[in-house]
Formats: sequence, C-alpha cells, structure tokens
Amino acid sequence: MVRGFNIPNQRVLAGVGASLKKLITDFSIHFVWEKKWFFIAMVVGIILLSFPTPNGLSREAMIVLSMSIVATILFVTEPIPLPAVALLIILGQVFLLGSSSSDVAKTLWNDSVLFILGSLMLAVGVVKQKLDKRIAWVIVRITGTKTSNICFGISVVSGLLASFIGEHTVAAMMLPVGITLVTLTSDDPKKVRNLAAVLLFSIAYGCSVAGIGTPSGGARNAIMIGYWREFFFDPSNPETQKFLIDYVRWMVFAYPMFLIQLPFVTLVLFLTFKPEYRDLSRAVVKLRAQVESEGPMKAADWISIILFLLVLMGWVFMSDSVGMGTIAILGATAFLISGLVRWEDINSGVNWGVVLLYGAAISLGIEMKETGAAIWVATNFLNLLEPFGASDGFGLWAAVSVLTTAVTNMMSNGAAVAVLGPVVLKMAVVAQESPIIIGFITAISSAFAYLTVVGTPACTIVYASGYLKTTDFLVVGWKMALISIVIMLAAAFLYWPYLV
Amino acid sequence: MADTYIDQKGLFERRKERYRVLVCIDGSDESYRGLSYAAQAATNKNSDIVLLYVRPIDQGLRSGGLQVRVARENMLSWGLELPGITYLKRGLEQLISGDELSADWHEKITHTDIEGDPLGDNKIEYTNEVGQTIVLKLKTAATIASGILDQYELGPYDLIILGDSGSWGGWAKSLWDPAVAEKVAMHAPCSVLVARGLERGHGHLLCTDGSERAMRMVKRSATVSNRIGSKLSVMAVARDNEDKAEAQENVDIAVAELKSSGVDVVNAFTRVGNPFEEIIHAGKEYSFIVLGSTGKTGLQRFFLGNVSFKVMEHAKNSVIITR
Repeated sequence: MVRGFNIPNQRVLAGVGASLKKLITDFSIHFVWEKKWFFIAMVVGIILLSFPTPNGLSREAMIVLSMSIVATILFVTEPIPLPAVALLIILGQVFLLGSSSSDVAKTLWNDSVLFILGSLMLAVGVVKQKLDKRIAWVIVRITGTKTSNICFGISVVSGLLASFIGEHTVAAMMLPVGITLVTLTSDDPKKVRNLAAVLLFSIAYGCSVAGIGTPSGGARNAIMIGYWREFFFDPSNPETQKFLIDYVRWMVFAYPMFLIQLPFVTLVLFLTFKPEYRDLSRAVVKLRAQVESEGPMKAADWISIILFLLVLMGWVFMSDSVGMGTIAILGATAFLISGLVRWEDINSGVNWGVVLLYGAAISLGIEMKETGAAIWVATNFLNLLEPFGASDGFGLWAAVSVLTTAVTNMMSNGAAVAVLGPVVLKMAVVAQESPIIIGFITAISSAFAYLTVVGTPACTIVYASGYLKTTDFLVVGWKMALISIVIMLAAAFLYWPYLV
Repeated sequence: MADTYIDQKGLFERRKERYRVLVCIDGSDESYRGLSYAAQAATNKNSDIVLLYVRPIDQGLRSGGLQVRVARENMLSWGLELPGITYLKRGLEQLISGDELSADWHEKITHTDIEGDPLGDNKIEYTNEVGQTIVLKLKTAATIASGILDQYELGPYDLIILGDSGSWGGWAKSLWDPAVAEKVAMHAPCSVLVARGLERGHGHLLCTDGSERAMRMVKRSATVSNRIGSKLSVMAVARDNEDKAEAQENVDIAVAELKSSGVDVVNAFTRVGNPFEEIIHAGKEYSFIVLGSTGKTGLQRFFLGNVSFKVMEHAKNSVIITR
C-alpha cells in the first residue's frame, strides 16, 4: 500500500497537530502516571549518586548501595516488569560500576540460581502427574469426614510435600482438592465462604510454614546457603567449614520449627473462620466416586513417584558433593527423558524471569559485600538500633526478624532474602553474633508473609482461585505471623545455639 | 486486512446508534444491584447489556516462578470453573429471570487469545428476536480499571456501571493505588454510575451549575427518566447569598427543560454553602446523585479536583457522572 508523497495541506497539518497533542496528553496521563514509581526511583537514584560519598564508604560502594535502594523501590512498587529490574541491575553494574561484561555475567549464575531453575522445571513435572486426586483420597481416608480433621490432614500432607518440593508446587497441586471439597458441599459460594477459607488457607499456610523445612523448600533457602558460602567460607581455613550448611544440617535446624507450627495453622484458622459445615461426608462421597473413575495406579504414576523419591534422596545424600542445583536439574531432565512431562508444558509453566531476577539480585548482593557497602549499612543500622537495646543478642534477633517480615510482605520472599541477606550477615559480624543464627532468622522470617496475597507463592496461587478476599489474609495473617515469630525466636534462643 | 478494518469501523458506527450499557461484575451484591438498574435502563429494543468480569493477568513472578496457569489448568482438569464465570452466569440468570428482559435467547461463544495469558478473553453473546444483546465477557488485563477502560475502546458504551469497591481512602491512599471506580470515573469517555448502597425508587437528584455541560446532563437524564420512569429532582448550590438568585435561575432553566421533554419534576430547590457538602447532604434522600462532568482531561482533573469527583468520592449513596 504505497501512497504518493503529496505535499501536506493545511488541514492535514492541523490534524497532525491535534493528534500530536492528544498523543502528548495520553503520554503524560497514562504513561508517566502509570510509571510514576519508575521515575521516582530514578530520581532517587540520581540524587543519591550526586551526594558526596559519606565517610567510610567508597565510591563503588555508594553506587552499589544506590542501585540496591532503587531496585528495592522498583521491587516493591512494580512500575515496570520485574525481570526488567533484573536487566537494569546488570546494566548498572556495567555502566555505573564499570565492571566488565563477562565478570557481571559470571556472578549471575551459581548453584542457588541453578537450583531455582531446576526446581521450577521439576515443579511443573510434578504438578502435571495429576497425583492430586489420589493424595486427596489418602488424606480423607485417614482423617475421616470431620471438617477440622480434614483441614489438619490437608495442612500436614501439603506441608510434608512442600517442605521438599517447594510450596508453589504443592499449592498448585492441592488447590483443586480444596475447591472441589467446597463446591461438592454447596454450589452457593455464600453458604460456604468460611469453609472455603479454612480449606484453602490450610493449603496456603500449610505450604508456607513448610517452605522453611529443607533447603529445597524455597528459593530463599538456597539463596541464604549461597550467601553463607560466598561470605564466610574460605577453603584454606578449616574453621570456616561450618559455614557450608548442607541439606541435613539445614533440616536439623529448621524442620522441627515447621512441625511445631503445623498444629497452630489449623487452630488459628478455626478460631478465625467458623466453617458452616462441621462434617463433609457429602463431599467426601462424591470425591471418592471421582477418584474411583480414575482407575488403579498406572505405570507412569509409579515411575513418577519413584523418580520423585530418587530426587529427594539425591538432595539429602548427594547435594553436598555435587550441589543442590545439579540434583534439581537432574530430576527435571529425568522427567523429560522419561516422557512424563512435555517440554512445552515446562516452557509455558515456568516464569523464566524469576531465574533472571534471582540471579541479578544475588549478583547485586555479592557486589554489596565486595564493595563494602553491606558492612557500612550494617554498622550504621546497628548504631541506629543501639538506643533500643537491639544491637546485639536477643534484641538484634527480634529486630532482624521483624525487619525481614516487614520487607517480605511487600515483595517476593526470595527477593527479600537476596536484598537483605548481605546486610544482616554483616550485621552479625559487626555485632559478633553467629552469622548462621542470623541467617536462619532472615531466611525463615521471609516465610512469614501471611498478610498479603503477594507475600508467598502459595498465597498467590490459592488467591487465584477467586474464593478468598485480600482482607481474609489480613484477618488471619497477623495471628500466624505473631505465632511464627514467637516460635522462631524460641528456637533461636533455646535450640539453635546448641547446634552452631 | 483492510476489509476487516472497515468492518470493525462499521461495527463501531452501528454500535453508536444503540444504547449500550457496560456492567462490571465483581461478585459483590452492589454490582448485582447495579445490574438490575441496567436491566431497567436497557429494556428498549435498541439497547444492549454487556456484563464484564476483569481478572488481572496472572504474574508468575509472584507465585515463585511457577506460573499460576499451571494451577488453573489443574483446576480446569478437575472440572472446576475459573473465577468470574460463576459471577457472570449469576448475573445472566438475574437478567433473564427478571421482568424486564424475557424472551428467547440464542447463544454464541467466542474466545480471543490474549498474549501472556493462555486463557485469554472469553465471550458469550446472547441475542433475542427483537435484536437485543446480552454479552458475558471474561477479560484479562494488567489491572482491573485498565481492563474496564480497554473494554470501552472495543465498542463505545453509553453507560458504565460498577459497584463501589469500598476502598476509596484518603488522598494519600488514592495516590498510591487509586480505587477501580475512581480510576474508571476519571478516564472513561462516557457516563459512569457507581452503585453504592443502591436502593431504587427514591428518584434522581440532578445537580446543575447552569453550565452548558450541566444542561446536556439534564437533557440526558430526561431521556433516561422517560426510559425507566424514575422521579427527578433538581438542585443548585450557591456559594453565598449573593449568588442565590443565579442558582435559582439555573434550577428554573433545568426544570423548564425537563418539563418541555415531558418529565415531571418532584422537587426543585437551591442551597447555600460549599457545593460538594451541600450536594452530599441533600443527596442522602435520593437513590442517585446525578452530576455533569467538567470537560477536563484526566490529568487536569487529578490536579485541580472538582465537585463531581469530590461528591463521587465522599457520597454515601450512588452517583452518576454524565458525559
């Protein structure tokens, strides 16, 4: 469609002028307004960079610190897609810090990132096996038909599974179980609002409290393990060997905490929401009919269960020698080779931006340490805490826990650990506390994002069912957060010191 | 390519001649009350009702990297419906079982893929023999407000109805995260009805300031009133006693205009004081407060503020802003 190049007449020019004006107005309203936080973050960054460098802080450290602050604003407000923030971090390291492109690229990948990549692929593989109905049936066979027992059973099973394969996997798998039990009880959503809340929160919180249990429970655990190794491990010094936290050692620290929290989930949920039905026998009978229509277990089902158990054993026994990431990748590869999952499903089921995001956040965290920005922030933050008696010991633990809980409710918990990790670990060094205890407090507190929909992956997935309101999370979340913090501080005080 | 473009344009033109109501359903009682108003306003054979449910696009980043679609597909394989579909179906039942619209409806289902979301937009269109249409539309968009506004772009509407989401908050709150109703009212190029504690039968209160726009609003209200047979009252607010005569004059003009189009005016009065406070106070006794919009663009409206938006924000009952 080629048109002649006529000389534009007056009317056309006026038209162009008008549409240009409209374009500018549309731009100013929609673009600038929608992206206001992006511009605010950029202005904050420019102002920070134009300040004279404070005492004790190098120019590089100042740049990294400014980048972290800008990135945090962008993580919380999300004016641009989060993977774009990751790309900005990479660009900032090259253009502002003057690092070479290859050096930046090297810091983007390590075992933690590889683990995130592998476990996400594995998650899709596991969900696609459709073992959810059988799991549901096993639960109700054990618990009977009483609502409270079913809810406890769902939390326990979701939790046990989630502690090994990640909360998002189990939440996605168990969500239909919860909703099916609700819809089989009554078609009218109004009559089963509280029942829906207890069942769905049993899944969400069951998964959330479990995510702390093992290193493979969530990305944040892998990130913290990576930071310990990066910050404190020195191959020439056998003393630092204790900073290599392996799979079993993590479980010894954290698994008891998960088990103690479990009964509280059901308790808090039943005290907050009074379910309309005390007994779900009607729904259970229908569920049984659905499961029976599936027929007996097929060979593929058995293979997937065996593969899954092999991956678990790989994590427990081999992750120290070959790395957790390698085992996760091995598991995903095995699922693909055996044909249990199609690459297309994995490709569309994994948000690859997350891998990029964590890679960039960890890379920035390591820069924080290398340039000395982390220790500067840690020292100043401790000075700030001193008047409150929170600069060492128990007070510091509580402060770190509250800080992490606050940050993690605003952004994804992996990002929270990646951003806060370097600072709190350096705080431990300055305050002469054990970096391992402080690290555990940070990693575990990041799971206490019960208050908001975006806090933990399990909450986001369960919220997507449309059965819960955002206010439900607030109503019940603060109780859970309080209980969890108390249990964790008790563990930090009474239990962990014997392990370090 | 060119053909479809012309066809689209033709469709757009044809739609302009019809009275099209967009009802945003979010499952709340308020949105269904708004729907019953729509049913009354759109009984005419030239009118269509579109029921819209907007679902924010799932962000895999928040669900820890596992796309929410994995969970949704799992739900679908269990035979569970997506959220929103149940809400829309309930709305349809309400419309068809009501007295206003009852006839044979024919069903047509279409699906549009939306980039970034595999489940995309779904649409069910029902038509009856007199040519009325009811459309159920499940839409995905980055935010709920932008989804509603995008829907306007697809076909012009005469009226957008939404339930108050209840979180209007203060200025600081709205700077952080403007409520859906507020955002739609600010940007939509057509009239917007925000249903809030809607009780029908108490009539409409038209607020005029004598401007040309206000008079256009009065004329439109006359047509709507003829359509649904609601009672109309008129008020104007003078800032001080000196302006009182002018306010009275504005009311008289409006009343005359309404009478000439064959509508009875129940009540006509003036008040003295701060316009938005007086309007909210007087409006309590009516089902709706009807206001004209000033012709400012969204950005200007935001910075300058105006009576219409203040009323919309603070009133306890339903508000219609006409454009």
